[in-house]
Amino acid sequence: MKQLIDISKELFESKKVGYIIGYAEDKFKRVKPFVAHSSSDAERFVFSNYSVNNLAVYLTRLLKPKESKIGIVAKGCDIKSIIALIQENQIKREDVIIIGVNCNGVVNQIDEQFSKENTAIKCKYCQVRTPAHYDYLVGEIKDVDLPEDKNFAIMQKLESMNAEERWNFWEAEFEKCVKCYACRQVCPLCYCEQCIVDKSMPRWIDSSATVKGNFAWNMIRAFHLSGRCIGCNECERACPADIPLSLLNRKMGMVAMNEFNYRHGTDINQPTLIGNYNVNDKEDFIM
Amino acid sequence: MNTYVLSKDHLNKLAQELLTSGYKVISPSKDGRRFVSISSIDDLVISPNLKPSAVSMKEFFFPKTETLFYYKRSKDEYDLIDAAEENHPQIIFGAKPCDASAIPIVSKVFNWDYKDEFFNKKVENTIIVGLACKFADENCFCTSVGLSPISEKGSDLFMIPLSDNNFACKVITEKGEEFVSNHSSIFTETIDEKSINTNDIKIPEKRFDSKEVKAWLDKNFNHHLWDELGENCLGCAQCAFACPTCHCFDIVDEECNHTCGRRAKNWDACQFEIFTKHASGHNPRNEQDKRYRQRISHKFKYYTDKFDEILCTGCGRCTRGCPVLTDIGIILEDINQLAKESISNN
Repeated sequence: MKQLIDISKELFESKKVGYIIGYAEDKFKRVKPFVAHSSSDAERFVFSNYSVNNLAVYLTRLLKPKESKIGIVAKGCDIKSIIALIQENQIKREDVIIIGVNCNGVVNQIDEQFSKENTAIKCKYCQVRTPAHYDYLVGEIKDVDLPEDKNFAIMQKLESMNAEERWNFWEAEFEKCVKCYACRQVCPLCYCEQCIVDKSMPRWIDSSATVKGNFAWNMIRAFHLSGRCIGCNECERACPADIPLSLLNRKMGMVAMNEFNYRHGTDINQPTLIGNYNVNDKEDFIM
Repeated sequence: MNTYVLSKDHLNKLAQELLTSGYKVISPSKDGRRFVSISSIDDLVISPNLKPSAVSMKEFFFPKTETLFYYKRSKDEYDLIDAAEENHPQIIFGAKPCDASAIPIVSKVFNWDYKDEFFNKKVENTIIVGLACKFADENCFCTSVGLSPISEKGSDLFMIPLSDNNFACKVITEKGEEFVSNHSSIFTETIDEKSINTNDIKIPEKRFDSKEVKAWLDKNFNHHLWDELGENCLGCAQCAFACPTCHCFDIVDEECNHTCGRRAKNWDACQFEIFTKHASGHNPRNEQDKRYRQRISHKFKYYTDKFDEILCTGCGRCTRGCPVLTDIGIILEDINQLAKESISNN
């Protein structure tokens, strides 16, 4: 922690940053996002297995300081969304200072003790426990017990279903949706100035939480994130209705990988999948 | 009014009787996420130890989407068709005091200058069986908003556990009394109310003084606290939609095709940017700090000014579900601290 605080203080003292987005503890010692505006604020910074939030979401939500940069504390997975935002021209590389953190996995349930069973499934396949891209690197890698991938069996089951069975599965899941849009608000890549669901002239998709409206919302969001989602799973974590949104995003990511050999958020200079046309792109899987 | 003794077997028998006679029987869901209408008594969950469901039971009075009327368009005119009234009698089991008390609180706004028949009919058709609460975590603060784990407010019948398998069931309202007399084969054994021991129900300590909080809110429309809160909040509506007392709604017209459609009342929330956006494009709450201030002020100041009620039951759902862990209990403690400091400074 000392390393993280020292670097942050140095960034403030040298006036390189206007603020740093990081994690701090509240009075019940729970870890939550915290924006430090001074080196004394930075003393509150922590990083642990409970640092679940993907703080990259704040990069497009907060105003950029006028004459300095934004500092951000980020795990390897979160850095993928920072790179994605740069690839999508939403932020400039030179506007952010990334304090990368070696990560030993984060909890699945924040109100329960960190353990093998209570580790986020995304951590199982993580290839960036030591971030691939950063300005500073802090923390140490330890051996960790990886969790079981409970979703894999569900995905296989979904793939073996026919269209009607799959429809029924998702209908039952989406029925629970209350349209609170927590999935959208926590998503670093949901940065549209006006979300399609908020457009009312004309209205493209029903805002009501009916079967039709819920299908429209969740499918549109999945499509908008296909080939873009980096798999931080914040949407699924934030969902009060417990809808397994990661299944959709993961499937779309697998399609992008299998059909186009593309993974978003890995290379700052790589054109985006949707934003780039290649004559060699496969078409045979399109109906 | 009498207090009866009910065993779990009695409750199962009662629920079965109600299901058979066409009641909608509502219980906390097995996964603890919400309240659901059950079709089998195997799904009835009655336990005082449960954590409050992630989403409250308000959807049974104020659905997330509700049709006000349908319309049909013929050549030159519109026909309005009443939404088919769902006049199902319903019963809610396992409502905690922080769930049940929300109904009379919210009733005040739904019966203020306009009487909302949709809400009122559902309340009239519902029997709420409250249940004393033995759960308390750091997010709970019912005792700071004038309630407690044994508050009967909002319940028609109120149950207090006597042992693992037995409950004392107090009749609270006349509606409850009528219900009991209609199911007299279940409600047979009475117990002296005074003999009920509630000592094993821990009453959480009061965390803040709501009057002092309100006095501070009266004077601090502009304060740096709001900036700090606005900076963290991501502006979703998890807090409002999980909340038992948040009641804002939007009205939309939705077409089924070019000749028909419906007008619907949908949940809405003050944390959304477009909530206060005017047709002109002007937005009086254009930043998250203003929107967060609205959330706190509506609950602890405006509603109290207007209806002499706090628009919060201290259930802690908003905090437990908040993706960035904004803790309303801590905020109110902080405001109380600021209030104390400003009193001592004067």
